[in-house]
Amino acid sequence: MEPLETFIVETTEPSEAKAYESILKDIISELAFVRTIGRIKVRIRPEESLFMMAMVLRSGLPPIKAKEISETELDRPGSKVLITVTDEKTIPQFLEKLWEQFGRHNVIQPQRNLIEVISDDLEGAEESIGDIVVDDPEKSLRERLADMAIRSTPEGFRIRYHSLDNGRFIFVASEDTMQQEWIDEAGVMLEDLTGDE
Amino acid sequence: MAAVLEPYIYEGGIHKHSLILELLEDLGGYLVQKTPASTEVTLVMLIPKKDVQLVEDLCKKLLGKLTPAPLTGTEIAVVSPTLASHHLPHSACDVAEYLRRGGANTNMIGLARGMGRRVALSADYERKLINEHDVAVFSFGTFKDCIINKKPKLFEGIEIPIIVSGGPDLKTEDVPGADMYVGGIGRVAHRMRKGPELDAMDVLNEKVGEIINLKRESISKDPLVVLPARLMKEVQEQVPDIHNVLTPAPITLQLDGMRVKLPFDEYHEAIGNIEFDEGFRLSDVASITPSKMKNYILIKIKRRSEVGSAI
Repeated sequence: MEPLETFIVETTEPSEAKAYESILKDIISELAFVRTIGRIKVRIRPEESLFMMAMVLRSGLPPIKAKEISETELDRPGSKVLITVTDEKTIPQFLEKLWEQFGRHNVIQPQRNLIEVISDDLEGAEESIGDIVVDDPEKSLRERLADMAIRSTPEGFRIRYHSLDNGRFIFVASEDTMQQEWIDEAGVMLEDLTGDE
Repeated sequence: MAAVLEPYIYEGGIHKHSLILELLEDLGGYLVQKTPASTEVTLVMLIPKKDVQLVEDLCKKLLGKLTPAPLTGTEIAVVSPTLASHHLPHSACDVAEYLRRGGANTNMIGLARGMGRRVALSADYERKLINEHDVAVFSFGTFKDCIINKKPKLFEGIEIPIIVSGGPDLKTEDVPGADMYVGGIGRVAHRMRKGPELDAMDVLNEKVGEIINLKRESISKDPLVVLPARLMKEVQEQVPDIHNVLTPAPITLQLDGMRVKLPFDEYHEAIGNIEFDEGFRLSDVASITPSKMKNYILIKIKRRSEVGSAI
Protein backbone atom coordinates (compact mmCIF):
# COMPACT_ATOMS: atom_id res chain seq x y z
CA MET A 1 0.00 0.00 0.00
CA GLU A 2 1.32 3.42 -0.94
CA PRO A 3 1.34 6.21 1.66
CA LEU A 4 -1.74 8.41 1.68
CA GLU A 5 -3.34 6.79 -1.32
CA THR A 6 -6.79 7.67 -0.03
CA PHE A 7 -7.55 10.92 1.80
CA ILE A 8 -11.23 11.67 2.21
CA VAL A 9 -12.88 14.26 4.46
CA GLU A 10 -16.65 14.35 4.57
CA THR A 11 -18.63 17.10 6.29
CA THR A 12 -22.29 18.04 6.30
CA GLU A 13 -21.41 21.22 4.42
CA PRO A 14 -19.20 20.02 1.53
CA SER A 15 -17.31 23.31 1.24
CA GLU A 16 -16.02 22.90 4.80
CA ALA A 17 -14.36 19.58 4.03
CA LYS A 18 -11.54 21.23 2.15
CA ALA A 19 -10.66 23.52 5.04
CA TYR A 20 -10.57 20.57 7.41
CA GLU A 21 -8.49 18.58 4.98
CA SER A 22 -5.85 21.28 5.13
CA ILE A 23 -5.86 21.16 8.95
CA LEU A 24 -5.38 17.39 8.86
CA LYS A 25 -2.60 17.64 6.33
CA ASP A 26 -0.79 20.14 8.52
CA ILE A 27 -1.10 17.90 11.57
CA ILE A 28 -0.02 14.80 9.66
CA SER A 29 3.09 16.48 8.36
CA GLU A 30 3.85 18.09 11.71
CA LEU A 31 3.82 14.73 13.46
CA ALA A 32 5.74 13.06 10.60
CA PHE A 33 2.95 10.61 9.84
CA VAL A 34 2.98 10.91 6.08
CA ARG A 35 4.78 7.65 5.49
CA THR A 36 2.86 5.72 8.11
CA ILE A 37 -0.70 6.34 7.01
CA GLY A 38 -1.89 4.41 4.00
CA ARG A 39 -5.50 5.49 3.79
CA ILE A 40 -7.54 7.90 5.87
CA LYS A 41 -11.17 8.86 5.97
CA VAL A 42 -12.71 11.47 8.23
CA ARG A 43 -16.39 12.26 8.67
CA ILE A 44 -17.58 15.28 10.67
CA ARG A 45 -21.14 16.22 11.59
CA PRO A 46 -20.83 19.43 13.62
CA GLU A 47 -24.55 19.66 14.36
CA GLU A 48 -24.33 16.30 16.16
CA SER A 49 -20.97 17.19 17.76
CA LEU A 50 -19.51 14.18 16.03
CA PHE A 51 -16.02 13.51 14.68
CA MET A 52 -15.09 10.15 13.20
CA MET A 53 -11.82 8.98 11.72
CA ALA A 54 -10.74 5.67 10.18
CA MET A 55 -7.19 4.92 9.11
CA VAL A 56 -5.34 2.05 7.56
CA LEU A 57 -1.68 2.14 8.45
CA ARG A 58 1.09 0.78 6.31
CA SER A 59 2.66 -2.40 7.60
CA GLY A 60 4.42 -1.53 10.81
CA LEU A 61 8.07 -1.85 11.69
CA PRO A 62 9.23 -4.79 13.82
CA PRO A 63 10.61 -4.20 17.32
CA ILE A 64 14.35 -3.59 17.52
CA LYS A 65 16.27 -6.08 19.66
CA ALA A 66 19.58 -5.35 21.35
CA LYS A 67 21.51 -7.87 19.27
CA GLU A 68 20.59 -5.99 16.08
CA ILE A 69 22.24 -2.81 17.22
CA SER A 70 25.05 -3.98 19.50
CA GLU A 71 27.65 -6.63 20.21
CA THR A 72 28.33 -8.11 23.65
CA GLU A 73 31.46 -9.73 25.06
CA LEU A 74 32.97 -10.45 28.43
CA ASP A 75 36.01 -8.39 29.35
CA ARG A 76 39.24 -10.28 29.97
CA PRO A 77 39.21 -10.66 33.75
CA GLY A 78 35.60 -11.70 33.35
CA SER A 79 34.22 -9.12 35.70
CA LYS A 80 31.70 -7.37 33.45
CA VAL A 81 29.86 -7.54 30.15
CA LEU A 82 30.98 -5.06 27.50
CA ILE A 83 28.35 -3.86 25.07
CA THR A 84 29.46 -2.02 21.95
CA VAL A 85 26.51 -0.16 20.46
CA THR A 86 26.55 0.44 16.72
CA ASP A 87 23.34 2.46 16.42
CA GLU A 88 23.95 5.50 18.56
CA LYS A 89 20.46 6.99 18.51
CA THR A 90 18.99 4.04 20.40
CA ILE A 91 21.40 4.36 23.35
CA PRO A 92 19.01 6.29 25.63
CA GLN A 93 16.29 3.65 25.34
CA PHE A 94 18.86 0.87 25.63
CA LEU A 95 20.29 2.34 28.85
CA GLU A 96 16.85 2.63 30.33
CA LYS A 97 16.11 -1.02 29.67
CA LEU A 98 19.45 -2.04 31.17
CA TRP A 99 18.88 0.06 34.30
CA GLU A 100 15.56 -1.65 34.71
CA GLN A 101 17.07 -5.09 34.52
CA PHE A 102 20.42 -4.75 36.31
CA GLY A 103 19.96 -1.70 38.52
CA ARG A 104 21.32 1.72 37.83
CA HIS A 105 24.61 1.33 39.71
CA ASN A 106 25.50 -1.81 37.75
CA VAL A 107 25.36 -0.08 34.39
CA ILE A 108 28.25 2.20 33.44
CA GLN A 109 28.80 4.08 30.22
CA PRO A 110 32.51 4.98 30.04
CA GLN A 111 32.38 5.94 26.38
CA ARG A 112 29.76 7.17 24.01
CA ASN A 113 29.11 3.81 22.36
CA LEU A 114 30.32 1.51 25.13
CA ILE A 115 28.23 0.22 28.02
CA GLU A 116 29.50 -1.96 30.85
CA VAL A 117 27.20 -4.18 32.89
CA ILE A 118 28.15 -5.79 36.19
CA SER A 119 26.24 -8.85 37.27
CA ASP A 120 26.57 -11.91 39.53
CA ASP A 121 25.75 -14.19 36.61
CA LEU A 122 27.82 -12.70 33.85
CA GLU A 123 27.30 -15.40 31.26
CA GLY A 124 23.57 -15.48 31.77
CA ALA A 125 23.54 -11.69 31.49
CA GLU A 126 25.55 -11.74 28.29
CA GLU A 127 23.05 -14.07 26.71
CA SER A 128 19.93 -12.31 27.89
CA ILE A 129 21.06 -8.84 26.85
CA GLY A 130 20.81 -9.68 23.16
CA ASP A 131 17.09 -10.35 23.47
CA ILE A 132 16.18 -7.07 25.16
CA VAL A 133 13.67 -5.14 23.07
CA VAL A 134 15.31 -1.75 22.83
CA ASP A 135 12.69 0.11 20.84
CA ASP A 136 9.20 -0.75 19.73
CA PRO A 137 8.19 1.52 16.85
CA GLU A 138 4.64 0.18 17.02
CA LYS A 139 4.29 1.37 20.59
CA SER A 140 5.59 4.86 19.94
CA LEU A 141 3.37 4.93 16.86
CA ARG A 142 0.33 4.17 18.99
CA GLU A 143 1.17 7.04 21.30
CA ARG A 144 1.64 9.46 18.43
CA LEU A 145 -1.51 8.20 16.75
CA ALA A 146 -3.58 9.17 19.78
CA ASP A 147 -1.88 12.57 19.75
CA MET A 148 -2.73 13.07 16.11
CA ALA A 149 -6.35 12.06 16.62
CA ILE A 150 -6.80 14.44 19.56
CA ARG A 151 -5.15 17.32 17.72
CA SER A 152 -7.39 16.88 14.69
CA THR A 153 -10.60 16.69 16.70
CA PRO A 154 -12.50 19.95 17.18
CA GLU A 155 -11.70 21.38 20.61
CA GLY A 156 -14.17 20.39 23.31
CA PHE A 157 -15.00 16.93 21.97
CA ARG A 158 -13.78 15.28 25.12
CA ILE A 159 -15.69 11.99 24.92
CA ARG A 160 -13.49 9.71 22.86
CA TYR A 161 -13.32 6.15 21.64
CA HIS A 162 -10.42 4.61 19.80
CA SER A 163 -9.23 1.21 18.73
CA LEU A 164 -6.11 0.05 16.96
CA ASP A 165 -6.11 -3.46 15.61
CA ASN A 166 -3.40 -4.68 13.32
CA GLY A 167 -2.76 -1.31 11.72
CA ARG A 168 -6.44 -0.48 11.42
CA PHE A 169 -7.36 2.52 13.52
CA ILE A 170 -10.73 4.04 14.29
CA PHE A 171 -11.42 7.08 16.40
CA VAL A 172 -14.71 8.67 17.40
CA ALA A 173 -15.02 11.87 19.43
CA SER A 174 -18.00 13.86 20.61
CA GLU A 175 -19.26 16.21 23.28
CA ASP A 176 -22.15 13.91 24.12
CA THR A 177 -22.30 10.39 25.50
CA MET A 178 -20.66 7.91 23.17
CA GLN A 179 -23.14 5.93 21.11
CA GLN A 180 -22.55 2.44 19.81
CA GLU A 181 -23.98 3.38 16.41
CA TRP A 182 -21.22 5.96 15.91
CA ILE A 183 -18.57 3.36 16.64
CA ASP A 184 -20.32 0.99 14.23
CA GLU A 185 -20.44 3.71 11.59
CA ALA A 186 -16.73 4.35 12.00
CA GLY A 187 -16.23 0.60 11.68
CA VAL A 188 -18.11 0.64 8.37
CA MET A 189 -15.89 3.52 7.21
CA LEU A 190 -12.87 1.40 7.99
CA GLU A 191 -14.36 -1.52 6.08
CA ASP A 192 -14.82 0.75 3.07
CA LEU A 193 -11.21 1.77 3.27
CA THR A 194 -9.85 -1.77 3.49
CA GLY A 195 -12.50 -3.28 1.21
CA ASP A 196 -10.53 -3.40 -2.00
CA GLU A 197 -7.45 -5.07 -0.57
CA MET B 1 -10.98 73.91 17.27
CA ALA B 2 -8.20 71.34 17.32
CA ALA B 3 -6.50 70.37 14.07
CA VAL B 4 -7.66 67.21 12.33
CA LEU B 5 -5.13 64.49 12.98
CA GLU B 6 -4.28 61.67 10.61
CA PRO B 7 -2.72 58.41 11.81
CA TYR B 8 0.47 57.15 10.15
CA ILE B 9 3.17 54.55 10.76
CA TYR B 10 6.79 55.31 9.97
CA GLU B 11 9.15 52.40 9.43
CA GLY B 12 12.79 53.09 8.85
CA GLY B 13 16.28 53.26 10.25
CA ILE B 14 16.76 54.54 13.76
CA HIS B 15 19.44 56.95 12.52
CA LYS B 16 18.18 60.56 12.67
CA HIS B 17 14.61 59.48 13.44
CA SER B 18 14.60 62.12 16.14
CA LEU B 19 14.30 64.67 13.33
CA ILE B 20 10.85 63.28 12.61
CA LEU B 21 9.90 63.53 16.27
CA GLU B 22 11.08 67.16 16.40
CA LEU B 23 9.13 68.03 13.29
CA LEU B 24 6.08 66.26 14.68
CA GLU B 25 6.26 68.27 17.87
CA ASP B 26 6.64 71.52 15.95
CA LEU B 27 3.59 70.70 13.88
CA GLY B 28 1.50 69.85 16.94
CA GLY B 29 1.18 66.15 16.20
CA TYR B 30 1.53 63.29 18.67
CA LEU B 31 3.74 60.26 18.94
CA VAL B 32 1.52 57.37 19.99
CA GLN B 33 4.08 54.60 20.13
CA LYS B 34 7.75 54.11 19.42
CA THR B 35 9.16 50.62 18.94
CA PRO B 36 12.90 50.46 18.35
CA ALA B 37 14.28 47.12 17.14
CA SER B 38 18.07 47.08 16.74
CA THR B 39 18.75 49.49 13.85
CA GLU B 40 15.10 49.89 12.84
CA VAL B 41 12.36 51.91 14.45
CA THR B 42 8.60 51.94 14.11
CA LEU B 43 6.80 55.15 14.98
CA VAL B 44 3.04 55.33 15.27
CA MET B 45 2.05 58.97 14.93
CA LEU B 46 -0.87 61.33 14.67
CA ILE B 47 -0.01 64.05 12.18
CA PRO B 48 -2.06 67.21 11.52
CA LYS B 49 -3.81 66.60 8.22
CA LYS B 50 -2.52 69.67 6.42
CA ASP B 51 1.10 68.93 7.36
CA VAL B 52 1.29 65.28 6.32
CA GLN B 53 3.22 66.24 3.20
CA LEU B 54 5.97 67.85 5.27
CA VAL B 55 6.47 64.71 7.32
CA GLU B 56 6.33 62.57 4.21
CA ASP B 57 9.09 64.60 2.57
CA LEU B 58 11.29 64.22 5.60
CA CYS B 59 10.62 60.47 5.76
CA LYS B 60 11.62 60.12 2.13
CA LYS B 61 14.82 62.00 2.83
CA LEU B 62 15.59 59.54 5.65
CA LEU B 63 14.79 56.62 3.31
CA GLY B 64 11.95 55.43 5.54
CA LYS B 65 8.40 54.47 4.72
CA LEU B 66 5.32 56.36 5.85
CA THR B 67 2.02 54.48 5.56
CA PRO B 68 -1.48 55.38 6.71
CA ALA B 69 -2.52 53.39 9.79
CA PRO B 70 -6.27 53.76 10.14
CA LEU B 71 -6.49 51.72 13.33
CA THR B 72 -4.10 53.93 15.31
CA GLY B 73 -5.31 54.94 18.72
CA THR B 74 -7.57 51.92 19.16
CA GLU B 75 -7.33 48.98 21.49
CA ILE B 76 -8.79 45.79 20.06
CA ALA B 77 -9.55 42.52 21.85
CA VAL B 78 -8.89 39.41 19.78
CA VAL B 79 -10.98 36.77 21.50
CA SER B 80 -10.39 33.08 20.98
CA PRO B 81 -12.70 30.41 22.44
CA THR B 82 -9.82 28.78 24.32
CA LEU B 83 -6.07 28.89 24.58
CA ALA B 84 -5.82 25.31 23.27
CA SER B 85 -3.77 24.61 20.18
CA HIS B 86 -7.04 24.01 18.31
CA HIS B 87 -8.03 27.63 18.61
CA LEU B 88 -5.19 29.86 19.44
CA PRO B 89 -2.09 29.61 17.36
CA HIS B 90 -1.96 30.75 13.82
CA SER B 91 -5.33 32.15 12.87
CA ALA B 92 -5.99 34.20 16.01
CA CYS B 93 -2.34 35.23 16.30
CA ASP B 94 -2.23 36.19 12.65
CA VAL B 95 -5.40 38.24 13.06
CA ALA B 96 -3.87 40.11 15.99
CA GLU B 97 -0.62 40.64 14.13
CA TYR B 98 -2.40 41.96 11.07
CA LEU B 99 -4.47 44.40 13.10
CA ARG B 100 -1.28 45.68 14.69
CA ARG B 101 0.08 46.46 11.26
CA GLY B 102 -2.93 48.72 10.86
CA GLY B 103 -1.74 50.65 13.91
CA ALA B 104 -4.02 49.10 16.54
CA ASN B 105 -2.98 47.82 19.94
CA THR B 106 -4.32 44.31 20.31
CA ASN B 107 -4.81 42.10 23.32
CA MET B 108 -5.42 38.41 22.85
CA ILE B 109 -8.00 36.94 25.18
CA GLY B 110 -8.49 33.19 25.46
CA LEU B 111 -11.68 32.25 27.29
CA ALA B 112 -11.45 29.73 30.09
CA ARG B 113 -14.45 27.68 28.99
CA GLY B 114 -15.22 28.80 25.48
CA MET B 115 -14.56 25.48 23.82
CA GLY B 116 -17.01 23.06 22.31
CA ARG B 117 -20.59 23.65 21.34
CA ARG B 118 -22.64 22.73 24.36
CA VAL B 119 -20.45 23.90 27.21
CA ALA B 120 -19.10 27.11 25.65
CA LEU B 121 -19.57 30.12 27.92
CA SER B 122 -17.74 33.20 29.05
CA ALA B 123 -17.21 34.40 32.60
CA ASP B 124 -18.39 37.75 33.92
CA TYR B 125 -14.80 38.82 34.44
CA GLU B 126 -13.98 38.01 30.83
CA ARG B 127 -16.94 40.01 29.52
CA LYS B 128 -15.95 43.05 31.59
CA LEU B 129 -12.38 42.78 30.33
CA ILE B 130 -13.53 42.58 26.71
CA ASN B 131 -15.83 45.55 27.23
CA GLU B 132 -12.85 47.71 28.17
CA HIS B 133 -11.71 47.63 24.53
CA ASP B 134 -12.90 49.58 21.51
CA VAL B 135 -13.81 46.55 19.41
CA ALA B 136 -13.82 42.79 19.92
CA VAL B 137 -12.72 40.44 17.14
CA PHE B 138 -13.88 36.88 17.77
CA SER B 139 -11.78 34.30 15.99
CA PHE B 140 -13.88 31.20 15.24
CA GLY B 141 -13.39 28.00 13.28
CA THR B 142 -14.41 26.09 10.22
CA PHE B 143 -18.02 25.04 10.77
CA LYS B 144 -20.98 27.15 9.73
CA ASP B 145 -23.30 25.39 12.15
CA CYS B 146 -21.10 26.25 15.15
CA ILE B 147 -20.70 29.89 14.16
CA ILE B 148 -24.40 30.46 13.51
CA ASN B 149 -26.02 28.32 16.18
CA LYS B 150 -23.66 27.82 19.04
CA LYS B 151 -20.89 30.37 19.36
CA PRO B 152 -23.04 33.54 19.48
CA LYS B 153 -23.74 32.82 23.14
CA LEU B 154 -20.22 34.05 23.75
CA PHE B 155 -21.40 37.51 22.64
CA GLU B 156 -23.83 37.88 25.54
CA GLY B 157 -22.98 40.87 27.68
CA ILE B 158 -20.53 42.33 25.16
CA GLU B 159 -21.42 45.97 24.66
CA ILE B 160 -18.70 46.99 22.22
CA PRO B 161 -18.91 46.26 18.46
CA ILE B 162 -18.37 42.59 17.66
CA ILE B 163 -16.52 41.42 14.56
CA VAL B 164 -16.45 37.71 13.86
CA SER B 165 -13.89 35.92 11.74
CA GLY B 166 -14.37 32.33 10.64
CA GLY B 167 -13.82 29.86 7.86
CA PRO B 168 -17.10 29.66 5.91
CA ASP B 169 -18.39 32.37 3.65
CA LEU B 170 -21.38 33.79 5.55
CA LYS B 171 -23.34 37.01 5.55
CA THR B 172 -23.19 39.25 8.59
CA GLU B 173 -26.93 38.94 9.18
CA ASP B 174 -26.57 35.13 9.42
CA VAL B 175 -24.50 35.46 12.59
CA PRO B 176 -26.77 36.64 15.38
CA GLY B 177 -25.28 39.37 17.53
CA ALA B 178 -22.32 40.14 15.27
CA ASP B 179 -21.82 43.61 13.82
CA MET B 180 -19.64 42.23 11.04
CA TYR B 181 -18.60 38.84 9.74
CA VAL B 182 -15.43 38.14 7.75
CA GLY B 183 -14.95 34.70 6.17
CA GLY B 184 -11.90 32.86 4.94
CA ILE B 185 -10.08 32.99 8.30
CA GLY B 186 -10.95 29.71 9.99
CA ARG B 187 -8.96 27.25 11.98
CA VAL B 188 -5.62 26.58 10.35
CA ALA B 189 -2.61 24.71 11.65
CA HIS B 190 -0.05 26.83 9.81
CA ARG B 191 0.92 30.48 9.62
CA MET B 192 -1.27 32.31 7.15
CA ARG B 193 0.84 33.16 4.16
CA LYS B 194 -1.06 32.03 1.10
CA GLY B 195 -2.63 34.59 -1.17
CA PRO B 196 -6.32 34.01 -0.33
CA GLU B 197 -5.56 33.93 3.39
CA LEU B 198 -3.77 37.25 3.28
CA ASP B 199 -6.58 38.72 1.17
CA ALA B 200 -9.07 37.67 3.84
CA MET B 201 -6.94 39.40 6.47
CA ASP B 202 -6.89 42.57 4.39
CA VAL B 203 -10.68 42.41 4.24
CA LEU B 204 -10.78 41.97 8.01
CA ASN B 205 -8.58 45.03 8.56
CA GLU B 206 -10.80 47.03 6.24
CA LYS B 207 -13.99 45.94 8.02
CA VAL B 208 -12.53 46.66 11.45
CA GLY B 209 -11.56 50.07 10.06
CA GLU B 210 -15.17 50.66 8.97
CA ILE B 211 -16.52 49.81 12.42
CA ILE B 212 -13.90 52.05 14.05
CA ASN B 213 -14.84 54.88 11.70
CA LEU B 214 -18.50 54.54 12.66
CA LYS B 215 -17.48 54.83 16.29
CA ARG B 216 -15.26 57.82 15.51
CA GLU B 217 -18.16 59.50 13.73
CA SER B 218 -20.49 58.99 16.65
CA ILE B 219 -17.84 60.48 18.94
CA SER B 220 -17.38 63.47 16.63
CA LYS B 221 -21.07 64.31 17.00
CA ASP B 222 -20.55 64.80 20.71
CA PRO B 223 -16.77 65.22 20.99
CA LEU B 224 -14.62 64.23 23.91
CA VAL B 225 -13.61 67.00 26.30
CA VAL B 226 -9.96 66.33 25.55
CA LEU B 227 -8.28 64.36 22.78
CA PRO B 228 -6.82 61.07 24.06
CA ALA B 229 -3.54 61.91 22.30
CA ARG B 230 -3.32 65.23 24.12
CA LEU B 231 -4.10 63.55 27.43
CA MET B 232 -1.39 61.01 26.71
CA LYS B 233 1.15 63.80 26.43
CA GLU B 234 0.00 65.33 29.70
CA VAL B 235 0.31 61.96 31.47
CA GLN B 236 3.85 61.59 30.17
CA GLU B 237 4.77 65.08 31.41
CA GLN B 238 2.97 65.14 34.75
CA VAL B 239 3.33 61.51 35.89
CA PRO B 240 7.01 60.89 35.10
CA ASP B 241 6.92 57.36 36.58
CA ILE B 242 5.24 56.22 33.38
CA HIS B 243 8.66 56.35 31.74
CA ASN B 244 9.83 53.53 34.04
CA VAL B 245 7.10 51.18 32.87
CA LEU B 246 8.59 48.43 30.76
CA THR B 247 5.47 46.85 29.27
CA PRO B 248 4.86 47.54 25.59
CA ALA B 249 2.67 50.59 25.08
CA PRO B 250 2.71 51.89 28.71
CA ILE B 251 -0.13 54.18 27.68
CA THR B 252 -2.53 52.45 25.35
CA LEU B 253 -4.83 54.83 23.53
CA GLN B 254 -8.47 54.04 22.97
CA LEU B 255 -11.05 55.93 20.97
CA ASP B 256 -12.59 57.46 24.07
CA GLY B 257 -9.84 57.13 26.63
CA MET B 258 -6.78 55.12 27.46
CA ARG B 259 -5.27 52.44 29.62
CA VAL B 260 -2.37 53.60 31.76
CA LYS B 261 -0.18 50.70 32.82
CA LEU B 262 0.56 51.85 36.37
CA PRO B 263 -0.87 50.30 39.54
CA PHE B 264 -4.26 51.84 40.29
CA ASP B 265 -3.92 52.15 44.07
CA GLU B 266 -0.69 54.09 43.95
CA TYR B 267 -1.28 56.29 40.97
CA HIS B 268 -4.97 57.00 40.46
CA GLU B 269 -4.78 60.19 42.49
CA ALA B 270 -1.76 61.46 40.60
CA ILE B 271 -3.57 60.72 37.35
CA GLY B 272 -6.76 62.40 38.55
CA ASN B 273 -4.77 65.48 39.54
CA ILE B 274 -3.35 66.04 36.09
CA GLU B 275 -3.92 69.68 35.23
CA PHE B 276 -4.52 71.24 31.87
CA ASP B 277 -3.44 74.76 30.95
CA GLU B 278 -7.09 75.59 30.39
CA GLY B 279 -7.76 75.13 34.10
CA PHE B 280 -9.33 71.66 34.21
CA ARG B 281 -8.28 68.74 36.31
CA LEU B 282 -8.53 65.30 34.76
CA SER B 283 -10.79 63.90 37.48
CA ASP B 284 -13.37 66.55 36.51
CA VAL B 285 -13.52 65.52 32.88
CA ALA B 286 -12.94 61.77 32.92
CA SER B 287 -13.82 58.69 34.87
CA ILE B 288 -10.79 56.93 36.31
CA THR B 289 -11.40 53.31 37.26
CA PRO B 290 -9.36 50.19 37.96
CA SER B 291 -8.95 48.09 34.86
CA LYS B 292 -9.80 44.39 34.75
CA MET B 293 -6.43 43.92 33.13
CA LYS B 294 -3.92 43.41 35.94
CA ASN B 295 -4.25 46.41 38.21
CA TYR B 296 -3.97 49.08 35.57
CA ILE B 297 -5.81 52.38 35.37
CA LEU B 298 -8.60 52.82 32.85
CA ILE B 299 -9.48 56.36 31.84
CA LYS B 300 -12.69 57.11 29.94
CA ILE B 301 -12.96 60.73 28.87
CA LYS B 302 -16.34 62.40 29.23
CA ARG B 303 -18.22 63.96 26.32
CA ARG B 304 -18.62 67.68 25.81
CA SER B 305 -22.36 67.48 26.56
CA GLU B 306 -21.64 66.02 30.00
CA VAL B 307 -19.10 68.61 31.06
CA GLY B 308 -20.46 71.64 29.21
CA SER B 309 -17.25 72.71 27.54
CA ALA B 310 -14.18 71.29 25.88
CA ILE B 311 -10.48 71.94 26.18
